[in-house]
Amino acid sequence: MRDEAYQRALAAAPGALRPRGRLVQGGLIAAGLAAFVAMCVDLQLAPDALFAGLDKLAKFAEGAFPPSDGGDLLRIVKALAETFAMAFAGTVLAALAALPLGVLGAKTVVGQPVLHFAFRRALDWFRGVPALVWALILVSAFGLGPFGGVIALALADIPSLAKLFSEAIENGDDRPIDGVRSAGVSPLMELRYGLAPQVTPVMASQCLFFLESNFRNAAVLGIVGAGGIGFELEERIRIFAFDEVVFIVGLYMLCVAALDTVSQRLRASLA
Amino acid sequence: MSSAVESFETLRRRTLRRQRLRALAGLLIFSAILLVSFQRSQFFSSDIGGDPLGRVADFLARMIPDLKADALTADSRTKGSLAWWFYDLPVWLKLGWQTVEMAIVATVLGAIGGLVAAFLCARNLMPFPAVRFVVRRTLEAIRTLPDLILALILVAAFGVGPLAGVITLAISTLGSLGKLFSEINEEVDPHQLEAMAAAGVGPLSRIRYGVIPQVLPNYASYVLIRLEGNLAGAAALGIVGAGGIGLELQRAITYTEFDTYLAILLLIVCMIFVIDLSSEAIRHRLIGLDGAK
Repeated sequence: MRDEAYQRALAAAPGALRPRGRLVQGGLIAAGLAAFVAMCVDLQLAPDALFAGLDKLAKFAEGAFPPSDGGDLLRIVKALAETFAMAFAGTVLAALAALPLGVLGAKTVVGQPVLHFAFRRALDWFRGVPALVWALILVSAFGLGPFGGVIALALADIPSLAKLFSEAIENGDDRPIDGVRSAGVSPLMELRYGLAPQVTPVMASQCLFFLESNFRNAAVLGIVGAGGIGFELEERIRIFAFDEVVFIVGLYMLCVAALDTVSQRLRASLA
Repeated sequence: MSSAVESFETLRRRTLRRQRLRALAGLLIFSAILLVSFQRSQFFSSDIGGDPLGRVADFLARMIPDLKADALTADSRTKGSLAWWFYDLPVWLKLGWQTVEMAIVATVLGAIGGLVAAFLCARNLMPFPAVRFVVRRTLEAIRTLPDLILALILVAAFGVGPLAGVITLAISTLGSLGKLFSEINEEVDPHQLEAMAAAGVGPLSRIRYGVIPQVLPNYASYVLIRLEGNLAGAAALGIVGAGGIGLELQRAITYTEFDTYLAILLLIVCMIFVIDLSSEAIRHRLIGLDGAK
C-alpha cells in the first residue's frame, strides 16, 4: 500500500523524491566528514590538549576577577587615545590617497577596458595584504612606535577604499552632470556641482565605516610593536596579569561600542 | 510682490548662513581631531631616523631578491636562482596547507556554533526573549574583540600551535555568522511554518523542513565568504604563534631575511587568491548566478 503510493508519487514528480540523489548526497556528506576529521587529526587537535588548555583558561579567569587598572589608569587611557589617533590618521591618509586612485579606477573616467581591468586586478592583489603584514614591514623599517601603524592602516585601506570610491563614481547619475554642463560651466565646476554632491555622502559614509574597522585593527597592530592599546595588552598577557587584561579589554570594548554608535549616527545623517 | 522676493531672499540668506556655519563647525571639529590624532600618533614628531622615504625605498630594495637571469632555473644552492629564493618551499607549502586546514576546520566549527546561536536568537523562532537577549549580547561582545587579542590569550592557555588558532577563528566566526544567520532566519517566509504548525509538526521538525530549505543557499554563501576571511586571518594568527604560515613570516622578519618575507607573502597572496576564486565560483553556482555571468 505504502509502496504503491510511493511509486505513484515518484511517477508524478520524479525530482521531488530522487532516491539516487539522496545516495550521492549521503556519500558527499560522508566524504566531507572524513575530510574534516582528517584535517583535525593533521592539525593535532587532540581532546586532551583541549581540556588541558581549558583548565588553564579557567585558572586565568579565576585570576582575572576582580578586574583592576593596575594603578595606572591614565596610561591605559592614553594608550586607548593613541589607538584611536592611529585609526583616525590612518583613515584620513587612506582616503586622501584613495581619492585619485578611485577616480582612475572608475569605468566612466578611464574607459579603456584593458587599463580598467589591469588597474582593478592590481588593487585586488594589494587588498590581499592585511594591515598586520604591512605593520610588520613598516615597524622593522621605521622602528617601534605608532608611526608605522598609521602608515600600515593607510596602506591596507587604500585598495579597498579606492575600489569603493570608483564604484561610487561609476554609480553616479549622468543627468545632474549633463544639467550642469548645459549651463555652460567649466569641467571642474561640472565635477563640483554635478558629481561631487552625489558621491561625497557615499564616500564619507564609507570612510566612517573604515574608521570603525581601523579602530579594531589598530588595537591589534600594537602586538607587532606599533604602539597603542595592543602593546599594553600584549605586555600584560605575557606576564599573566589577567585582571588588568580584562579591565583593558572591557574598556576597549566600551570605546568600540561608543565609536560605532557615533559613526552609525553620522552615517545615518549622511544617507 | 517685492515683499515676497524679500522674504525669499532673507530665507535663502538664513539657510545659506546656517549651512555654512554647520559646514564650518564640522570642518573645525574634523581638523581638531585630525590635529590631535597626528600629534598623538607622533606622526610628524616621531624619530624615524631621517629620510623616511629613502628608508622605505631601501627596505623595498632589500625585499627584492637578488635573482640572476642565467641561473634562474638552477637548484637551490646556486645564488640567484628561483629555487634559492624559495629555499624552504616544501616547509612553506606544508605550513600553508596547515593554514588552509585551520581556516576550513575553524569555519566549519564556527558555522555549526553560529547555526545554533542563530536559532536561539531569531525573533520568529525563539519564543523566550531572555534567551534571545543573552545570545545577542554575547555575539556582539565576541564581534568587538579583535581576533589577535583573543589569539594571544588562547596561545597563553593552549600553547603554541594550531589548536589556539582554530579555537580563535571558530569563536570569531561564531560571532559574525551567528548574527548573519539570525538575520536570514528572521526573513524566512512564515507561511510554511504556519502550515506545519497547523499540521501538528514539532518545533525541531519545523526548523528542519520549514526553515532549512529556505535558508541553506544563503547560509552556504555566507560561510564561503567567511572562509575567505578566515584564510587571511589564519595566515595572520601565526604571527602570535597560533600555527600556520604566519610563523614563518614572523621568523623571516626577525632574522631580517626580507627577500624571504616577500617570497612567503607572495605565497600567501596566491593562496588567498585561489581560495577566493574557487569560493566565488561555488557561491555563484549556489545563488544561481551561473547564467547571468
